[in-house]
Amino acid sequence: MRKLNQRSFFFGVLPVLLTFFFSVVTIVVQGQQRQISGTVKDAKGSPVALVTVAVKGGGASTITADDGSFTISAKDGDVLLFSAVSFESTEVRVTSASSSYPVVLNASSVTLTDVVVVGYGTQNKKDVTGAVKSLKAASFNKGIITTPQQLLQGKVSGVNVTSVSGEPGVALGITIRGPGGVRTSNTPLFVVDGIPLDNNATGRGDPLNFLNPQDIESMDVLKDASATAIYGSRGANGVVIITTKKGKAGASQLSFSTNLGISTVARKLDVFTAEEFRREVPKTGATIDDKGASTDWQDEIFRTAYTQNYNLTLSGGADKLTYYASFGMQKQQGIIKENDLDRYSGRFNASQKFWDDRLTIDVTLGVTTTKNDRPFYSTLLGQAISNNPTYPARDAAGNPVFVAGINNPLFSLDGEREMSTINRLVGSISSSLRIIKGLIYKLNFGIDNSNGTNDIQSKPNVTPFREGRLETFYNYNRNRLVENYVTYTWVKNPHNVSALAGHSYQRIFVQGRNNSINRFTPGGVEPQYNPGTGQLLDLTTNRPGGYAFINELQSFFGRVTYQYNSKYLATINFRADGSSKFGENNKYGYFPSFSLGWKISEEEFMRNSVFSNLKLRAGWGITGNQEIPEKQTQALFQSSTAGNVSYPLGNGPYPAGTIYARLANPDLQWETSKQVDVGLDFGLLRGALTGTIDYFRKVTNDILLQVPPTDPIQPAPTAWTNVEDMTITNHGVELELDYKRNGKNFGYNIGGNITYMKNKVENSPYTVIASGNASGPAGLTSATLNGYINGEPIGTFYLNQWLGIGSNGLSVYYDKDKNGSTYTDNDRIAAGTALPKLIYSFYGGVTVKNFDFNMNMNGVSGNKIYDLTANAAFTKVNLSRSNNTTAAAVAEPNESISNAAPVSTRYLKNGSYLRMNNMTLGYNFNPSKLGISRYVSSLRVFVTGQNLFVITDYDGYDPEVNIDRNIGNVFSYGIDYLSYPHARSFIFGLNLSF
Amino acid sequence: MKKKIFSLVLVFTGVSIIHSCTKLKERVLDESSVVGLTEQQIAEGTIAPVYALLPTLFQHTNLFALQEISTDEAILPYRGGTDWGDNGIYLSLHRHETLSSDPNVTNTWNQITLSISRSVTAITALATNNYVNAKLFLAEARAMRAYYNMLALDLFGIAFQKEDPFATSTILRGDDAINYIKSELLAVEPLLDNTTGPGRITKAGVWGLLAKLHLNSAVWRDRYAATFTFKAEDMDKVIEYCDKIISSNQFQLATEYFSIFDNNNHSNKELIFAIDQRPDLNGHNRMAYFSLSGDQFPLPAVPNANGTDGPAITPDFYQSWATAYAPVDPATADPRFFKKNLIIPVDSCVLGTEFKIDRGIMRGQQYGLIGGRNIPFTTCGTGKYKIGKLYNVTRGKPNLPVNFTEFIDFTVAGSDYSTGYRVEKYEFSSATTDGRNRGEHDIIILRFADIYLMRAEAKLRKNNDAAGALADVNTVRAARTARTAPPPLLTMSLDLLFRERGFELYWEHQRRTDMIRFGKYEGTWTEKTNADKNKRLFPIPQNAINGASNIPGYLVQNPGY
Repeated sequence: MRKLNQRSFFFGVLPVLLTFFFSVVTIVVQGQQRQISGTVKDAKGSPVALVTVAVKGGGASTITADDGSFTISAKDGDVLLFSAVSFESTEVRVTSASSSYPVVLNASSVTLTDVVVVGYGTQNKKDVTGAVKSLKAASFNKGIITTPQQLLQGKVSGVNVTSVSGEPGVALGITIRGPGGVRTSNTPLFVVDGIPLDNNATGRGDPLNFLNPQDIESMDVLKDASATAIYGSRGANGVVIITTKKGKAGASQLSFSTNLGISTVARKLDVFTAEEFRREVPKTGATIDDKGASTDWQDEIFRTAYTQNYNLTLSGGADKLTYYASFGMQKQQGIIKENDLDRYSGRFNASQKFWDDRLTIDVTLGVTTTKNDRPFYSTLLGQAISNNPTYPARDAAGNPVFVAGINNPLFSLDGEREMSTINRLVGSISSSLRIIKGLIYKLNFGIDNSNGTNDIQSKPNVTPFREGRLETFYNYNRNRLVENYVTYTWVKNPHNVSALAGHSYQRIFVQGRNNSINRFTPGGVEPQYNPGTGQLLDLTTNRPGGYAFINELQSFFGRVTYQYNSKYLATINFRADGSSKFGENNKYGYFPSFSLGWKISEEEFMRNSVFSNLKLRAGWGITGNQEIPEKQTQALFQSSTAGNVSYPLGNGPYPAGTIYARLANPDLQWETSKQVDVGLDFGLLRGALTGTIDYFRKVTNDILLQVPPTDPIQPAPTAWTNVEDMTITNHGVELELDYKRNGKNFGYNIGGNITYMKNKVENSPYTVIASGNASGPAGLTSATLNGYINGEPIGTFYLNQWLGIGSNGLSVYYDKDKNGSTYTDNDRIAAGTALPKLIYSFYGGVTVKNFDFNMNMNGVSGNKIYDLTANAAFTKVNLSRSNNTTAAAVAEPNESISNAAPVSTRYLKNGSYLRMNNMTLGYNFNPSKLGISRYVSSLRVFVTGQNLFVITDYDGYDPEVNIDRNIGNVFSYGIDYLSYPHARSFIFGLNLSF
Repeated sequence: MKKKIFSLVLVFTGVSIIHSCTKLKERVLDESSVVGLTEQQIAEGTIAPVYALLPTLFQHTNLFALQEISTDEAILPYRGGTDWGDNGIYLSLHRHETLSSDPNVTNTWNQITLSISRSVTAITALATNNYVNAKLFLAEARAMRAYYNMLALDLFGIAFQKEDPFATSTILRGDDAINYIKSELLAVEPLLDNTTGPGRITKAGVWGLLAKLHLNSAVWRDRYAATFTFKAEDMDKVIEYCDKIISSNQFQLATEYFSIFDNNNHSNKELIFAIDQRPDLNGHNRMAYFSLSGDQFPLPAVPNANGTDGPAITPDFYQSWATAYAPVDPATADPRFFKKNLIIPVDSCVLGTEFKIDRGIMRGQQYGLIGGRNIPFTTCGTGKYKIGKLYNVTRGKPNLPVNFTEFIDFTVAGSDYSTGYRVEKYEFSSATTDGRNRGEHDIIILRFADIYLMRAEAKLRKNNDAAGALADVNTVRAARTARTAPPPLLTMSLDLLFRERGFELYWEHQRRTDMIRFGKYEGTWTEKTNADKNKRLFPIPQNAINGASNIPGYLVQNPGY
């Protein structure tokens, strides 16, 4: 696909598309027989426009005019169906007695779609005063979804979901309203069925992979402090509340769904083919090393991958008991060979009522086992993109061949692998007891238990030589939660008060251990099956390791909401959080928030306005981030025989050296964020067009950093401290729009969101806080890519500026300090940031009779990516050495073949993109027409295209990339280095309910 | 009913709160803040860490880089445009353009400051310890604190006085620093043993350090002087301490020069103070692997152990050898220059047990084991290995021979993988599994030949006692009798002595200090033209300056940075 010019795209085409989406009004008028007319009004007697009026069972349809009037042709006995957003549908039979029908539509009662989960309770969306977005299962992203965050990518303004790479199950970065810290985890708090999760992973992949997306009912994103302060010291990065599906009283249901996904690499790197290579290498003046073959090394490691997904759910219930049970299985192949991710998940949720419904017991239980096999893919990719394409990969019999001077990735594919298994159980029991009218006491107990084993195996081999090694990591994580809280609701018109008070205790135990053994016999059993066959085990190479810690968190929290006359709303949240990680002098942090709302549309003067809903919200609050390392508040006096601590004092055994490994910082505390949010929710055209606009400003201080001490003579070169005056500010504007039209045979919806965001570091006492370690590729040791400095955002690339190729064939760099030396640290400039300025998405859907079509696009712009892959591999010097490169390596005709390629802005690229995330076409069969309605209540088939195309200037595998290159726990951003390519997938699926 | 419910709530709440209420006292599970140790364990456990960072401090990228790559003895270009680019820090180091953000400067600084801190901790803990050796350990800790301060003074121009681990150090410069270090060494000298070397500091070690301190006092006192004033009383002290070492009869000059750097050098009588490296504890092989070609594989049993095409000597340094002995080849004239180990038989087949690479300064086409890394070595019969010409196979240049040239600089041609003469002074560890780790040889801090050379220099500087100095220099030359000893020198001057220190002590972490003391550091060689006297000191790392920024004026950056 041809790239659109970025600028013209964003300023020209996009607005046109959006205008198109938001302005289309389609009128379908048909039929004849007899003209029936009437007027549609709401319960208050006001006319209702844009109501779909249709003849049931096919035939004419129309919509009501502004005065609620309609005319339609129908015959006697026909049933007219009236439907509109926010109203309950109504049917009217046409009789010969009348040609004119007054119709009254009742406002639809609050359904699930109007409820948001706000932490320790739910609220009606219309009464919420914070910046909260609720996303229901129906609007999740479609496709092969392994990690739940993918479900909401592009769906919520202010939320940036960026995968590390395209690897199945890979950790997904998600930031809500920008990163507030330098080193801390900027991940929001995830709360699953009331259990706040701990972000420590017990193995490979994203910690949320244990959730089967098909079990998720809703995801509620709490964005501003007035919403997240109830989570106190964990609220600063936002909160995502995930609720799993529950049974509904009524008919029992058995559903089965299955789909098959076919994935291929969406884009290969455009390295030279053997033919081009033979042409290009001699042009550099070098002698080509030509072995005569014609190999596409990337094809050797990629494959067409198949993903199977099966899901069986049972749900239902009677008056007192409801249940939901499911079993899911997803077997996903990666597009790189030997890469598989299998997940088996089971869930049982039940709810039972006792004592005349005064007591309700809810149980949720989810168990998941995830198995992930992965080759050393960065090694493979490094070889696949650089290997000389004239070298053969396989011999005539198809077996990998070994040729000296090149690393055939097929040997690594065969011999080196990482195998990870994670078993996780998350369950909760909560009882809710109505003590008196309005007063409910709730006890919630939850447990999250997870075990991971990760084997890294290198099989022994003769040629190419591999000694053989097995290293095993064991991880264990147990997270326990006990909460007691009461809620009290008191309503006496015009007052409506509800209050919440509670106590929470959470204890997180994390443990990791590892061991290894070396030197296996080629041809023997695989090391993983019998590590005892290894022959080399000594403490220098095989010293076992381990760690363990307990984090305890004790909290007291409360909330008061007050409504006056259903027009004026106020909410106060408060939480006091104590954590065992905090220093003695700062055991508890206090996090308040206040917010107000005004439902303008409820005012008399708005009675006949175009707004069906208009609400102004404003809030302020303080939240914290307690993702600080453990044990930093305590000194450590440690004894060990490690080489950097012990020393031979004679000929005896080496003494265990005892050192202060760490100094105590009793003042250590959470980072603090103060956030202001002003928002406006609106509904127009009877609620068909809804939207939200928010302005926010989040200022984080007490920034946590690992810094050198004042006196250099200290037992440890650095210590953790809160840098009081330093601030990181995120501010921006979010806009969401949604337009829906529902009809019997035809309906459509379109919408989108856009977020403009800016981040800035201020008052940092440090010249440069470096991150983005470029080490790895030869020659780039100790070079850094990111540097956070005052006045610039987090994620800034701080680099030497490349000006081009000089007359001597060598690179010319900007001499910022004008001292004659042009490539020094002092010449570096702030060259842009990895954080996008704009995050946007739009979506649309059409339903025509039994067909439905949906699509989602998402994109970012204003960000940069450092292409470390190109820096390391795609240089003229590499090509002259008969290593493969892209055409970019020879783009500078005057460049010397020995021009060095240190890190510089030469490899900094525009990271803007627009992705066709997913597109689905589905068909719902009518079981009664097929004559199977006795057995089957619904039958649906669909096809989904995922990641169909990406419009971008970026020429790496994919612009959505963020390889972790942190330095001393300072986060890196926007670096691409041998990242796993993204897949393009087609999914064919079948849903069946009985 | 209501009562029942209320009591139930109370029970629930009670149970869960009792279950959960906490003082939030953090329990540490994976670290033992050690208790219950014996006095001996405490004593040994606190002295060992004082020495433990020495192997890291003396690594190729730390003290070695700072002391050698900044001089005419070593140069490290951006090899082939792919290796040792490291953001240009090695080019800057050679050009005297090092910045305060340089990671190698920071790492060296960190090892020194951390070691001083460990000494302070040990001094505090050992003061009250009852173990029989506690007093000796205490004296060693104080001597080591003085030694680390001497390094800090030499490299960064400051020393740290710190007794109370919880107080802020006093920063000393110039005379104050020299006097502090001197008084500490003098205070512990009587308490030290003379049998615990060379791996630990001894009486003789302290004498050597005192000699070094007095010899360099002129520089360290007046860092940026146009010419240094060497005081007679300082030179007398140098002579006095060197005499003490020589007359102790504890030490001997080795007959085979390279035996001083062999894997089993711990018992070599030439070593006065050295870093006791053990392959199964703290040893690294960086000194031996650093300069070799990536296609040189010294160990038939370990196909993964190769070199890295690190630094070479500069043509200027090579010319100091060549002109000294011209027309004779220095390899013939001086056994310190080179030792041939690899004699290739006619059939080019060598028993693995007999394969040994050459030592010293390596020039020209290199020969060795064929293969390595992914490729098994070519064999020829039982236990025998094929020896042949080496090519840059691991560099993807299988047609480029490993042929070390005198020419090396920062131009494209001068930066290729095989430019520059290389140095294999220390023996390649026989225990290494990758060439980098598990070093065996002790790394020398102070050896006997240096004592003679320091005494010679003091004699010259005190009253131009050329005869006395010449005798000392020739003593060292004459001792290397295992092969043909270098011819005696006939005359002596400061320039000749400087040259001789290069011949004897090349790549032993001394060159920068020597060049400054002999007034050569602002000279011109290879790629180096910068004559800024401020570069006699390294910058204090920017990190440390940032960290200390909360006390204005406490840690002041050296001028010129």
